Amino acid sequence: MADFSWDIRSPLDRALVAGPYGAQGEAGVSLTEIRDFDLVQVMARRGKAGEMMKAATARFGVAAPETPKAIGTADATLIWSGPDQFLVLSKDGKHSIEALDSVFAGSASLSDQSHARALISVSGDKARAMLAKLSSIDLHPDVFGVGAAAATSMDHTSVTLWRGQDRADGQAVFDLLVFATFAASLWHTILDAAAEYGVTIGHSEDLA
Amino acid sequence: MRITCPFCGERELGEFTYLGDAKPQRPAADAGEDAVYDYVYLRDNIAGVMSEHWYHGGGCRAWLKVTRNTLTHEISAVEPAAGAGAAKVGA
Ligand SMILES: [Zn+2]
Repeated sequence: MADFSWDIRSPLDRALVAGPYGAQGEAGVSLTEIRDFDLVQVMARRGKAGEMMKAATARFGVAAPETPKAIGTADATLIWSGPDQFLVLSKDGKHSIEALDSVFAGSASLSDQSHARALISVSGDKARAMLAKLSSIDLHPDVFGVGAAAATSMDHTSVTLWRGQDRADGQAVFDLLVFATFAASLWHTILDAAAEYGVTIGHSEDLA
Repeated sequence: MRITCPFCGERELGEFTYLGDAKPQRPAADAGEDAVYDYVYLRDNIAGVMSEHWYHGGGCRAWLKVTRNTLTHEISAVEPAAGAGAAKVGA
């Protein structure tokens, strides 16, 4: 019988090779896969959106997004994913599905997406130029500022895209959630798009 | 062609899937065979302004009711389909 390994591994475990990629010299695009996060989909039950929003405010101290936005809280990010629904991104079980179960009891249905998505953080001088090849969303800073979010498609793959807090050096950061089974495919597409700018690749366990 | 999703904003056609005519209404259970046949199979082939269902599957996954001119592709209205967005129903 074959030996099965049920170790938790990133969907990009094989595809991601840390280090430089593409054109040599200063990297124009930085790609970091964020691993080991908690992600919960929260969707209002019929007619219970108001209750869900109240419960979210009580839990997180800020209102959950009702339009395409990503809202940072003390220890989570709330990302709009559609009408009356949002994603809760956090770490270390602080807002895992078990922790949120009682919070939204009766007002929303929860679905654990922690191991169903890959999270890719894109930054660098050429991040916008690279993403413009893959996305029809206008990412100009005047339009897509910090906290802007979109449920959209890249390379025919559904993604949740949002702009996180700028890096310490002022560079914009674009965060990208993609279905785990599509992650390797999108990853290769991103590498193709980024190669001409030079890429630096890594992974991290820290949510920015 | 672009569709302005009431939830997401203006998006390219590739994010949407076409369902078809939004006009037919499910007949009552006792409406008879002809009414059911009409509802399931018969469609007007409209050359002009038409009410259609579209699905924003590559985006927010909401069903939309789009008013579109089939001759010019001009879209004059987009609204959430009945039931799209839990807050719109029974709130
Ligand atoms: Zn939409």
